Amino acid sequence: MNIRVKIVLIIVLSLACVAVSPFIGPALEGAQGGFILWNLRLPRTLMAVLAGAMLSLVGASYQTVLHNPMAEPGTVGTMAGATLGAVIAVVSGVIAPAAGLPMVTLFAFAGALIVSLALTAIASSGRASVNDVLLAGIAIALMASAVATGLQFTADQASTLAAVRWALGHLAQVGYADAALVAVFVVPVSVLLLLQTPALDAISAGEDRAFSQGVDVPKLRALVLGLGALGVAACVAWCGPIVFVGLVVPHLVRLGVGASRRLVMPLSPIAGAGFLAVCDMISRVLLPQRELPVGVITAAIGAPMLVWLVVRQRR
Amino acid sequence: MTLELSNITVTAGKRRLLHEFSLTLAPGQFVALLGPNGAGKTTIARAALGLVAAQGDVTLDGKPVRGMPGRERASKIAWLPQQSLIDEPLRAVDVACAARFRFNESRASCEKAALAALKRAGAWDFACEPVTRLSGGEHQRVALAALLAQEAPLLILDEPANHLDPAQQIAIYRLMGELWREGRGILCITHDINLIAHTLGDRKPEEIRVIGLAGGATRFESDFGAADLDGKLGDLFGAQIHALSDNGRRVFIAEAAKP
Repeated sequence: MNIRVKIVLIIVLSLACVAVSPFIGPALEGAQGGFILWNLRLPRTLMAVLAGAMLSLVGASYQTVLHNPMAEPGTVGTMAGATLGAVIAVVSGVIAPAAGLPMVTLFAFAGALIVSLALTAIASSGRASVNDVLLAGIAIALMASAVATGLQFTADQASTLAAVRWALGHLAQVGYADAALVAVFVVPVSVLLLLQTPALDAISAGEDRAFSQGVDVPKLRALVLGLGALGVAACVAWCGPIVFVGLVVPHLVRLGVGASRRLVMPLSPIAGAGFLAVCDMISRVLLPQRELPVGVITAAIGAPMLVWLVVRQRR
Repeated sequence: MTLELSNITVTAGKRRLLHEFSLTLAPGQFVALLGPNGAGKTTIARAALGLVAAQGDVTLDGKPVRGMPGRERASKIAWLPQQSLIDEPLRAVDVACAARFRFNESRASCEKAALAALKRAGAWDFACEPVTRLSGGEHQRVALAALLAQEAPLLILDEPANHLDPAQQIAIYRLMGELWREGRGILCITHDINLIAHTLGDRKPEEIRVIGLAGGATRFESDFGAADLDGKLGDLFGAQIHALSDNGRRVFIAEAAKP
């Protein structure tokens, strides 16, 4: 199949998924149906688009700057940091909203940002190799997870359940204001990441080679990790740690259009938006009278897809 | 436009990789850097690019290489690394395009220049193939195309014909000779002195400077036409090397390791 046809197919399919997603689910009839569509389904679809796009774009960027096909937003500890922040808020019983936002969201945002910016500081030192950054990221993520688990162990049953539910990833309780706040981070971060595409294209053929071609590698790595941390922190603060999107979607795009970041970078957020919109739709309709957390669906679809991609590449 | 390495010393932990090494390279010059494994040849290339910190001065046009803006440095000097294999399934044209990072140009203009470089490097036929599917020789041609696409006046080629069959080796050295005769400055790092002869074209052997390196320090400086080059090479590699004449061209043959 011609590459242009594949590009058009990815765009059209993703847009169709986003457009159809709010209308799938329990029937939208009468005034109640209108309310559900405009005030519940559309804002959560909007949030799915923002989070799916951001997670996928950051995944594609991290896989390139960290030279690791398994790199994704969780690799630098963003997800674990957000979970730690949320657990601290839940366990400490700080519930009162601040600046109109739930404390859990604010704590998750701060946790994600603090943890992943710690890694960005290591990456920007210039002395750290790509493996150093990866190992430090894994260590920081494990440390944050261990602290979060310890806190949950000491908490009461209700707090533990609330923390576990938050950590499953969710889109159900978002409104337009939430989506607008997330967009304030996601849109500029996406634009700035997409502007790095030529440098990411060069670095994908090797770091030293890219350096000799004019790319400031440590600066690029720190910039991408820092921007990614900011965008992902905003998404996970509101939606919880939605896994596998940032890992699987860039690989699916590569499978379709090849490895050139010139195509992978702009198409990953488009495909990611469609993927998460579909997952959100499935989470609404899979069980009668009950919704599943969207993180469960992304993991259920993403994990076998990843296995399939690995097996396919081996062949 | 001159690359100047003045008395540079490079260390890795307690190990000294280079010791007070000096070199100048300007457009139109050809320097062949020879030496046994571990002599420090690749370290010189990396120091010249600012990839490793060195004591002493490494300058391009009088400005220190380390700290020079990346695009400015890439406009002056380009590098073909020794390990040029790329493990990402990028198309050959994308690899050559990526090498033009310094230009900040449109994709159309980038592809046009990249395709011209691929054609010149003999890689036109597989321009749209992923490099992971190419043979070693084809892969090296793509790497050479990327070097050309960068359009720098000074080129460093580190073992450009490693692991290639004789025909491919000769083709790559002939292309290197063309680039030199067009006015580019070439620093060629190699083990194989005989391949240098394929760069000459209508130039005289005396126009190629030969630097022998061992233990991180210069052992001799000579030229490719020097009558005593075989003896110097023999001392450098610790082997008995003799020069034979073949149709007016000298061929160096290593006969046995020196006791």
